[in-house]
Amino acid sequence: MLLMMAPQLVVSGVTTGMLYALIGLSMTVVYRTTTIVNFGQGDMATAGAYATLVFAVGLGLNFGVAVVLAIGVLFALGYVVQRALLRPIANAPHLALAMMALAVGYALRGGARLEWGNQFMTLPRPYPQGALALGQVVIPTDTLVIVGFVLLLLLILLVVFQATPLGRLTQAVFQSPRGAALVGINLDAFHAVAWGVGAALGAIGGVLLAIIVPLTPDLGEWVLVQGFAAMALGGFGSLGGVVVGGLLLGILEKLLGFYVNSMFIDITGYLITVVVLLVRPQGLFGRRMIVRV
Amino acid sequence: MDSAAASRAPARAAEGRLFFRRRRVFWLLPVLLLFLPPFLNQYQQYVVNTVLVYVLVGIGFNVVVGNLGLLAFSNVAYFGLGTYGSALLMAKLGWPWAATVIPAGIIGALAGVITSIPAVRGVRLFYLAILTLAFGELMRWTYVHWESLTNGSMGMTVPSAAFPLDTDRHRFYVFLVLAILAIVATDRLLRSRFGRAFEAIRGNEVAAAAMGIPTNRYILLGFAWSGFIVGIGGAMFAISVGQVSPPSFNMQELILEFAVVMVGGLGSLIGSVIGAAVLTALPQIFISFPGFQELVFGVMIILVLLFLPRGLVSLLARLSPLFADRFYRE
Amino acid sequence: MSDPSPLLALDEVTVQFSGLTAVDHVSFQVRAGEVCALIGPNGAGKTTVFNAVSGNVRIHSGAIQFDGKPIHNLPPHIISGRGVRRTFQNGGLFAERTALENVLVGLHAAVPNNLFALVLGTRKSAALELEATRRAHELLDVLEIGHLAGTLVGALPGGQQRMVEIVRALATEPPLLLLDEPSVGLTPPTRTQLGVVIRRLAAERGIGILLIEHAIELVMNVSDRVIVMNEGRKVADSTPDVVRADRAVLEAYLGHA
Repeated sequence: MLLMMAPQLVVSGVTTGMLYALIGLSMTVVYRTTTIVNFGQGDMATAGAYATLVFAVGLGLNFGVAVVLAIGVLFALGYVVQRALLRPIANAPHLALAMMALAVGYALRGGARLEWGNQFMTLPRPYPQGALALGQVVIPTDTLVIVGFVLLLLLILLVVFQATPLGRLTQAVFQSPRGAALVGINLDAFHAVAWGVGAALGAIGGVLLAIIVPLTPDLGEWVLVQGFAAMALGGFGSLGGVVVGGLLLGILEKLLGFYVNSMFIDITGYLITVVVLLVRPQGLFGRRMIVRV
Repeated sequence: MDSAAASRAPARAAEGRLFFRRRRVFWLLPVLLLFLPPFLNQYQQYVVNTVLVYVLVGIGFNVVVGNLGLLAFSNVAYFGLGTYGSALLMAKLGWPWAATVIPAGIIGALAGVITSIPAVRGVRLFYLAILTLAFGELMRWTYVHWESLTNGSMGMTVPSAAFPLDTDRHRFYVFLVLAILAIVATDRLLRSRFGRAFEAIRGNEVAAAAMGIPTNRYILLGFAWSGFIVGIGGAMFAISVGQVSPPSFNMQELILEFAVVMVGGLGSLIGSVIGAAVLTALPQIFISFPGFQELVFGVMIILVLLFLPRGLVSLLARLSPLFADRFYRE
Repeated sequence: MSDPSPLLALDEVTVQFSGLTAVDHVSFQVRAGEVCALIGPNGAGKTTVFNAVSGNVRIHSGAIQFDGKPIHNLPPHIISGRGVRRTFQNGGLFAERTALENVLVGLHAAVPNNLFALVLGTRKSAALELEATRRAHELLDVLEIGHLAGTLVGALPGGQQRMVEIVRALATEPPLLLLDEPSVGLTPPTRTQLGVVIRRLAAERGIGILLIEHAIELVMNVSDRVIVMNEGRKVADSTPDVVRADRAVLEAYLGHA
C-alpha cells in the first residue's frame, strides 16, 4: 500500500528536481564560461519572477509577452552586473567574486522586499491546470510544462556548448583564458553575454517556480542552495550532470520525506551532496580537479 | 658571510622591535572604550556588545578564508555550536557562564577539525564551499529538530546570570576583555611561523610543502583556531541575547559574517575588527526598514569591493603603516 | 660513478602517468659539493625526475635514496625537512610578500615555536621569532640582496626574484638543492651572476646541486657533470666536455628540433 505512493512521489520529485536543475543549468552556463559560481543566482531567478509579475499583473500585458520582457530585463541585468561589477575585480581572489555575487543577490532581495514586503505573490498559470492520469499515477500539467522546458533548454545548451564553434570557443576560454585572449577572442564581451544568458535562464526558472509555489523575497536563497547542490552533485561544469543532480535531489527529498520522516525534506539536498562528494569528490560527472605543481 | 652584513642584521631586527612598540598605541582604543558605557543607552550598549561578539566571529572566520584562503563556509556552525554549547551547559547542567566559555571554544574547535577533513583531503573551491555550507545547515537543522535538547524552532531561554553578567553595561567589560584576548592571541598566531605557514598555503601549497611546511596539519590547525575563537564568540552571544533560536544561524547570518571579513579586508585581522564594527552597527540604523536595510547592505558591500578591494582597513593603512601589514596586497 | 656514499642516488626510477611512462628506469647520483645538470628537450622527463625527488610525484618502481636513506614516495614536507630543498620554474615565490617574509617561510622548520607558548607570548617564543628574523636578514646578506628585505617580491626584477628564491631554499642549510630552470627570464649578465652563485654554494658550502637548465652556456660553465635525458630515459651522464661532443646528445636535441 505504502509502496504504491512511490511513483506519485517520483512525479512530484521530478517537478521540483527539474526546477533545481534549471537553476543549476543557468549557474553552469556562467561557471563554464567564467569559472565563477554566481551566488546571487537565486535572487536573480526571483527577480525574473517579480519582473514577470510587474509586466503581467501590474501592467496587464499578455503573459507570454511579460515573460519575454522579463527575460530581456534579466539578460540586461546579468550583462550589466558582469560588466560593471565583476569585470573590474576579475583578478581578485575567488572569495571576493563570491562576495560580489552574494551582495548583488542581497541587494536584489532587499529591493523586492522594499516593494512587496514579505507577502506571498503568485504568478497566474498561463496554461490550464489539469492532470494526466497514467494508471494510478497522476501527472499534473505543471510537471509536463516544467519537464518540457528544462529538457528543451538542456538540449539547446548541449548543442550550443558541444556542437557549435561557439561551444568549442567556450571550452577554450574555460581551459585557458590567457590563451583565448591571445587568439583574439573578446573575453569581456563573451563573459558579459554568458552572465546575461545565465540570468535569463534563471528568470525562466524563477517564473516556472513562482507558478507552482508562492513567491517571496526569500525564495531565492532556497533556490540558490538547491541549484548549487545540483551542480556539486553532477560535477561543476557538467550540463547533463546538473540535470541528473537536480532530479536526484528532487526525487530523493520526496521519498526520504515520505518514507522516513518529513523533517528530512529540508536537509536531503545537503545529506546527499555530502555523501556523494565524500565518495566521489569530483561529483557524478565532473572531471577530477588537478592540483597545479 | 662578511662581517659588515652580520652587523647590519641585528640593527634591522631592532627596527622590527620598534614596529611592535609603535603598535602599542593600539592599546589606547580599549582604554578609551572603558569610558564609553556612560554615554550609551541600553539599546546602544547592546549593539556595542554585539559588535564585540562579531569581532571574535570575524577574526576567527578570517583565519580560514583570509589567511588560509579557502572557500570554507562553516563559520556559522562554529558560532551556533558555541552558542548552543554555552546555553545548554548553563540551562541543563547549571554551570555558571564563565565556566562555559572555554568549553564553547573547544566545541567550536572540534567542529573546526571536523569541517577541515574535506580540505585536508584536498577538496577545494566550490566543492569545499558546498561541503562546509552543508555542515552549517546540518547543524541548524539539528537545532531545529533535536527539540528535547534545544526546544527546536521555539528557541531556548538562557538562564540569567549574576554580576558581572547581569546587565548589558556590565557584560560590556567582560566582552571587551575577551575580545582583546582573542585579538592579541590571534595576532600573535598570525605573526608567527603559523601565520606565515597559513599565508604560504594560500599562496602556493606546493611551494609551501617544499619549504617543509606540513600543509595538512596547518589547514587543520587553522580551522581549529577559527572554531575556537568563533565558539567563544558564541558563548558571548548566548549570554548577550538571552534567547537562542535556530534562525540566528541561517544563510543570512553566513552572508553577514562573510561580509564582515570581506568589507573589513580579507586576510587582515584589524580589518575583521573594523568590519565587525561597521556591519553590526550600521544596519541598526535601518532596522525598521527591512528591505531598505538589505539593499543598503548589499550596495555597501558592492561599493567596498569595487573601490576598496582590500577592504576598509586599506583606508587606515593609507594613514599609517601600522595598519598595513599582513593582508592581501594584490 | 661508484662513490660509496652519494648524497642523492636514483636507482632505476620509473614514473608513469595514466599508462604513459614519463621517466623510464633512470639512475644517477649526486655527490656533496657537486653541481649536476639535468638537460634534455621538453617532455624528456626532467621536471618529473625533480618532482619525484621532491616528493610531488609518486614513483612506480626503483628507489631514491638521500643520505643513504630511501625518500621516494614520502610527503614533500618530510623530504624537505630531511634536507632536500627545491626552487620552482615559476610561481614558487609569494609575490605579495616581502623578500624577508619569503625567506622566513623558508625558515619554517627552523623556528621550533609551539602554539601555546606563542599565544601566551612567552619570552622564549618572541626570542625565537626575533632570531628567525635576524637569520633571514643574514641569509639575504649572504647573496648580497639584504637591501631588498622589505621589498615586495612581485615588484623585484627576475634576477633578484631568483636570488630570493635561492635564499629561501637555502634557509635551513640543506645538503641538496634542486634548481628548476633558474635562468628563465634572466638577462645575460644576471645569468652569469647566477652561475657564480651556484658555483660558490657548491664550492664554499659543499652543497650538492641538481639543476634543470635550458641555457646551455650556463650548464657548461657551472656543472661538474651533465646528465642528458630524452623521452624519459637517461642517454648520457658525463663531464660537460664529453657531453658536448656526444652524438646521442645532439640527436636528443636535433631529433626534436
